[in-house]
Amino acid sequence: MDVADQRTGERPEAAGLVGPGPVPVALRVNGELRRIAVEPRTTLAEALRGPLGLKGTKLACDHGACSACSVWLDGRVVASCSILAIEIGDREVTSIEGLASYGALHPVQEAFIAHDAVQCGFCTPGLVMSCAALLASNPRPGPDQVRAAISGHVCRCGTYPHVIRAMRSLAGPGGAGHGR
Amino acid sequence: MDGDRRGRRERFPYGLAHLGLGEVEREISPEEPPPLAANEGLRLIGKDTRRWDARAKVTGEARYTVDVDMAGMLHAAVLRSPFAHARILSIDLSAAENAPGVHAGIDLVGAAADRPPAVVRYVGQPVVALAAESRVLAEEALRLVEIDYQELPFVIDPEPAGRPDAPVVYDLSEVADAPSAGLPATPRAELLLGNVLGPGGEHESSDVTAALEQADTVVGGTYRTQVQTHCCMEPHAIVASWRKDCLDVWMSTQFIAGVRVELAEYFGIPLSRVRVRAAAIGGGFGSKSRLGLYGRAAAGLSRLARAPVRLVYRRDEEQIDSGNRSSSEQHLRIGANRDGTLAAISLVSYGNAGIAFGAGVGFIATGLYRCDRVAALHSDVFTHTAPSCAMRGPGNTQGAFALEQCIDELAERLGMDPLDLRDRIDQSTVRREERRLGAERIGWHRRSGPGRGAGPIKHGLGVAQSLWPALVQTNAACEVRLWRDGVVEVLSSVQDIGTGVGTTLAQVVAEELGLEPDQVRVRIGDTEYPSGPPSYGSRTTASITPPARTAAWRLQESLLRAVAAAWQVDAADLVLEQGRIRLRGDPDRRISWREAAATLRTDRISAVADRTDDYGGFRSRAGDAAVARGELGGVQFAEVEVDTETGFIRVQRVVAVQDCGRPINPRQVESQVQGGVLMGISYALLEERILDPRTGRVLNPNFVDYKLLGAGEVPEIDVILLENYQGLSASDAYGVAEPSNIPTAAAVANAVYNAIGVRIRSLPMTPATVLRALGSLSGEDR
Amino acid sequence: MEPFAWRQAVTPEDAAGYSTSTTARAMLTVAGMPDRQHVLIKAGGVDLLDLMKQGVAAPRCLVDISRIGELEGVSQAADGSVRIGALTTLAELAGSPLIRQNYPALSQAAAGAASPQIRNRATLGGNLLQRPRCWYFRSASYHCTRKGGAHCFAFEGDNRYHAVFGNHGCAIVHPSTPATPLVAYGGSVEMTDARGRRRQIALEDFFLLPEADLHRENSLAAQEILTAVHLPAHVGGRHASYLQVAEKAAFDWPLAAVAAVLDLDRTGRCRRANIILGAVAPVPWRSAAAETALGGSEITPEAARAAARAAVAGAAPLSRNGYKLSLVDALVRRAVLAAAGSDSAGPG
Repeated sequence: MDVADQRTGERPEAAGLVGPGPVPVALRVNGELRRIAVEPRTTLAEALRGPLGLKGTKLACDHGACSACSVWLDGRVVASCSILAIEIGDREVTSIEGLASYGALHPVQEAFIAHDAVQCGFCTPGLVMSCAALLASNPRPGPDQVRAAISGHVCRCGTYPHVIRAMRSLAGPGGAGHGR
Repeated sequence: MDGDRRGRRERFPYGLAHLGLGEVEREISPEEPPPLAANEGLRLIGKDTRRWDARAKVTGEARYTVDVDMAGMLHAAVLRSPFAHARILSIDLSAAENAPGVHAGIDLVGAAADRPPAVVRYVGQPVVALAAESRVLAEEALRLVEIDYQELPFVIDPEPAGRPDAPVVYDLSEVADAPSAGLPATPRAELLLGNVLGPGGEHESSDVTAALEQADTVVGGTYRTQVQTHCCMEPHAIVASWRKDCLDVWMSTQFIAGVRVELAEYFGIPLSRVRVRAAAIGGGFGSKSRLGLYGRAAAGLSRLARAPVRLVYRRDEEQIDSGNRSSSEQHLRIGANRDGTLAAISLVSYGNAGIAFGAGVGFIATGLYRCDRVAALHSDVFTHTAPSCAMRGPGNTQGAFALEQCIDELAERLGMDPLDLRDRIDQSTVRREERRLGAERIGWHRRSGPGRGAGPIKHGLGVAQSLWPALVQTNAACEVRLWRDGVVEVLSSVQDIGTGVGTTLAQVVAEELGLEPDQVRVRIGDTEYPSGPPSYGSRTTASITPPARTAAWRLQESLLRAVAAAWQVDAADLVLEQGRIRLRGDPDRRISWREAAATLRTDRISAVADRTDDYGGFRSRAGDAAVARGELGGVQFAEVEVDTETGFIRVQRVVAVQDCGRPINPRQVESQVQGGVLMGISYALLEERILDPRTGRVLNPNFVDYKLLGAGEVPEIDVILLENYQGLSASDAYGVAEPSNIPTAAAVANAVYNAIGVRIRSLPMTPATVLRALGSLSGEDR
Repeated sequence: MEPFAWRQAVTPEDAAGYSTSTTARAMLTVAGMPDRQHVLIKAGGVDLLDLMKQGVAAPRCLVDISRIGELEGVSQAADGSVRIGALTTLAELAGSPLIRQNYPALSQAAAGAASPQIRNRATLGGNLLQRPRCWYFRSASYHCTRKGGAHCFAFEGDNRYHAVFGNHGCAIVHPSTPATPLVAYGGSVEMTDARGRRRQIALEDFFLLPEADLHRENSLAAQEILTAVHLPAHVGGRHASYLQVAEKAAFDWPLAAVAAVLDLDRTGRCRRANIILGAVAPVPWRSAAAETALGGSEITPEAARAAARAAVAGAAPLSRNGYKLSLVDALVRRAVLAAAGSDSAGPG
């Protein structure tokens, strides 16, 4: 790599240039520190599904347009296909595998099962992550808030009505928000 | 009755349960189980039951074909034609095959020096496939493939394609190679003129023209529907692995047993040496029904490379070349008598299935309503665009958009309520009930005349009906096993593409054996198990639940015989209920299921049952499939809001009244119906595969510019499921996937007409389309 | 994506110095093959990664500015003006009480853009600098004018989503949703170069029409970093609204949008109107004729209709996007009335 620092003329290595070949990356994933070696161009989704062995995160469009690959970054939903593994740094990544704790399902997962908010299931992990993030910030979401929280998701099988119903069941009677 | 065995007469529940059931007597084989009571008398069937694989899916544990890894697995990539029409003069794979990490290459068009040059006929047509150690290496190597293309004139729009001077997609000697998008399976070459294949028609009547002239009133119009793509969330994917003479395949497919047959035939090896498995499948909707060129390519590469090969479509490939719902142009005229009875129906239709044929749309126009004089003349028009294939209710979804709007128009012309007109011309008693129930639920009485109401925001109500044949795969079998430790398994190669058939099987078997559904281990998606039906055509439930029940019933008989032998009593004196076996008349002689299993002589016993013929026979059969005597219907009502200043349509509510024989898991059926309705709304308002007019390329091969319905478009959906018993099989259960998708766009369109008083005859009904229909500010050409 | 090297920048000046080009310049090629020489800036990377996956951008190195603290944050100065750090995400923007209170049209536009996933990552700076969504532009199969080719494919191709104003030589629409209200509020952008020299320019002047420059949407220079967006202090009597129409209810690019920021005096007369149209021109499009039509008047339905009529005058629709004029007409009328406090606005 021949990128000399134009300001100081320092050698690249000294200025922190890495890649394009594989680079050691340390990631906090589901509470564990994981060390992998990936190219800078490797997305978080590819890192999860590849060297990290976490295939629960699915790739449906790889362009951030369907949210199937949603994970949490410091608790906020993001499309993992649109983030590079190398840029995560010390932030916390939570994938679908990290949602259930000690074998007990997350309330969103329980609700999805109870209300049949699943069909082919390919978009489901991402939807669960979005709904769980919603619940973490709003324990009693109304239907409009659920719709807004899942507005980035594409579900071809059409689970939206049962997803909304599942989340409404968690909100209990008189959840915030009004409308459909 | 099967064969010439003496049958036995049995009485089955019959009719619509909510109206009060009658009975029908059938003669059935002694091998068949006793009639199954109506759902109200059953413990598990007809009750909401948790989906068998829901836990795996919500935790991310479910494994799809894209998740399958094998040791030494290679990754394939496909090079696709950049031209809509070209001759391939030469292909040189040598540089590509020698690129780093590449293990094998295949030319997919069969270009060879001693044959006429191969021809590519659409942008995106696969030309070469390579297998390399990573997808990235395979794609980099594709850049080294040298292809000499000779570009040829092309046509991508069906209208100019239909003209005599259009560039031709196939000449007479080539058209036999055209892929089929559905029915028929082979093109009638004698009907080819230029790019127009047809007209052909199943129903022809020479009196139709005369009858139209003499009818009291005639309504009609030209309707256009767009190309829709399936948009499965999991793209097409296959992992193929050759080991010696055995082929081991994982595939995201709707029919693993069919794929096995295709692979065995293609490679000339026995069926028993091919194993196809599907774990979880991320959607199909008709696009994953066959092995496909990509399947043959992956298996071929694996054989060459002597290593497993995984081929997965990228999203753009998926949108360009995994099949699509053909577009249509329908010229429909309906002549009626003053009292509403139909005098004649004339449909002249053109289907654009790209380089494929079989894009007919006449089934619903000729089958839904009673009419003596019907002519449905259909032609396929070839264009240099990607081939269509079946998509959720093929033909009927397009056809309903035209037919149901025409019927609506007829009702208005005659001064009749659209429901009253249908009461007059629709012979189906089931649909009559569906209309009545749906009208009540949506509040049809609120409907006012079209275009009424002050202000730019208008509201409307509309209705449309559905029709789909009740298909049965006769090549379907199911095994139920009981292990000595008490475990029960149900096994079939049937695959669960998201419909929940695994749950259905568990319920049926558990009901028969007095167990709970989660006590039945579901083993499906492997051709090592008895061959099950495909997951298309809405036929899966109808095909697999009767043999599942029959096998469970036979197994139960075997178990009772084993216990009877152990107790030295007559098997007829034993009763199996609620997981226990007891001796009639002796309350102290009872054992648990587990204890009963322990009396078996061997580790496990099993019973296998085939899908026998329907009681009373089928309407017709072809190959491994048959058409049952019943049919599947459905009536949907839509309520819409239209902003006449922006053209924006919002569907506020849909009431979907559907019948599927005996619903086995109502909540699962409700999911399916909601899915059909939502896909129908998306088809009505948003979706369109868009081609660049100058090059034939797909401009929107992604989820940004190909617009799919999201949570914000979801209306209130009321699903009313009828129980409609016919006594035709051991389960009397049918599917609902397609019937629930067929009428939705038509119902929305009729509601839009009711709202704004202007009929929209083309899809999708985007703001641009609506504004144009309303007479927008600036007339625009599209 | 092509392989690339990676560097984390600690200050904006370092980042500016390491980079060699703007993304726009790097995407300008002679033969249509992506240029592999450049070092580009990456913030949220939402647009950049998409362009790279499409194969129309292929930098050899990315300089990551996403962790530079001084580029974050929304703050208010003593004079009431507001500074929004360029790294502020759309989610942070939408969630800022200050923005919601004082610049509601901006808050609304940000809250409705894209998806929650994208809003959590997309930075305001990146959003303003993002490249157009034109499907010819985004495809490596078309070497269009904007990328250095000789032809705009939209004019004779499918231009249903393209521009009806200002479309000489290129028919893109500006893709940033927040830009529309930002221009209406009189926002400006601040940039720094490798030597720390800062400049500030009105956002309206920052964006460039094709007739000024066919190859880029804004005047960001090579080795410049966008550091902040500034908004003038909110003033009393200022009323604003933002409305748009899209094919989908969410997560869709608008077909047309309007931001109306009106300064009304105590009698309700319009002292100054800012009517900015979105998604109909290569830049956020100030509808001067509509503004003039409102000048000095009370905002009545009549006045709103007159403004709307004026807004569509002079449009140059293409073969498939004439419907946008109806949308502009409806949206301008409704936005003006909504801003003035009338309640006759339709769904937006």
